[in-house]
Amino acid sequence: MTDLPSIVKSWIGTAVVVVERTVTVEKESWLGFCAAIQDGNPLYWDESFAQSHTERTIAPFAMLPSWGSTHPWYPGKQSDGIRAMELHFMLKEALSYPNGIVTSVEMAYHEPVRAGDSVRVEQILRSVSDERATRLGPGRDWTIEVVYRRQDHVLLGLETMSFLGYRRN
Amino acid sequence: MNPNLALHAPLPTRRIEVTTKSIIMGAVTSRDWAPLHHDVVWAKTEGNLPDIIMNNYTQAGLINAYVTDWSGPAARVGRLRFSMRSPICPGDALELSGVIEAIEPEPELIWVSLAIELTVGERVATRSTVRVALPASEQSPSLWHRQAGAWKP
Repeated sequence: MTDLPSIVKSWIGTAVVVVERTVTVEKESWLGFCAAIQDGNPLYWDESFAQSHTERTIAPFAMLPSWGSTHPWYPGKQSDGIRAMELHFMLKEALSYPNGIVTSVEMAYHEPVRAGDSVRVEQILRSVSDERATRLGPGRDWTIEVVYRRQDHVLLGLETMSFLGYRRN
Repeated sequence: MNPNLALHAPLPTRRIEVTTKSIIMGAVTSRDWAPLHHDVVWAKTEGNLPDIIMNNYTQAGLINAYVTDWSGPAARVGRLRFSMRSPICPGDALELSGVIEAIEPEPELIWVSLAIELTVGERVATRSTVRVALPASEQSPSLWHRQAGAWKP
């Protein structure tokens, strides 16, 4: 990591992006996702079934990162807003890679998210590799850890994501 | 209540016909606005990709759904790990398959580790491992009632 810009070096080990609240979790939003993946789990759909397990219906865990992403437009919008993995996009820009893909994800699920909740997101940069040749073009690998908490600081999930940023050959 | 648990037992396979609509719907409903998940021109010219690709949230959702369709909704997924080895694109006939890799009984629950693959023909698109807790018996309390300190995914 000797050839990294100083700004990127200063980010390693720190919570570069902290999102206090973006959207309020809503059932119809997560049911759209369930429809997309054809997931009929009654914990997401059926209030009477959910009552004996989770008190109320819950959102699919796979959507946990989604609740930290702002709307793509809102009144008075001045910038791109906070994207679902804002630190990843900041790294792409700082390292001049137009493209980036997720290569691996590890997620530990804790308390589920329910309608009315909001999610606090903390994105911590763990590592950035030297540049290497990849199938897609020259690029670097980086790893980001994410801590998800509810508005009352209850732990919702812990995520480790690995990315490849690259530019076309 | 629980599926039959035996080490190395396979899970039933699930086949999904991936379409442009399903990829875009998964990305948009998971609030992922990156163009490689909805803009085919951008994906090919800027992303150096064969087409738009399925985003990681949709893949996580498919894997979770595959597991709970097998286990039943009383199960509680604790940990999901997956690595994406090649893109999933419109027109792909995606097959999810899995096998039980470990069974760890505890008081009132059974942890089961699953190895899951998402394949398109002979090509492995994504490899995953999932750790899911199942109630030990029909009399066991709901896994969702565990206090935070007693839930160790």
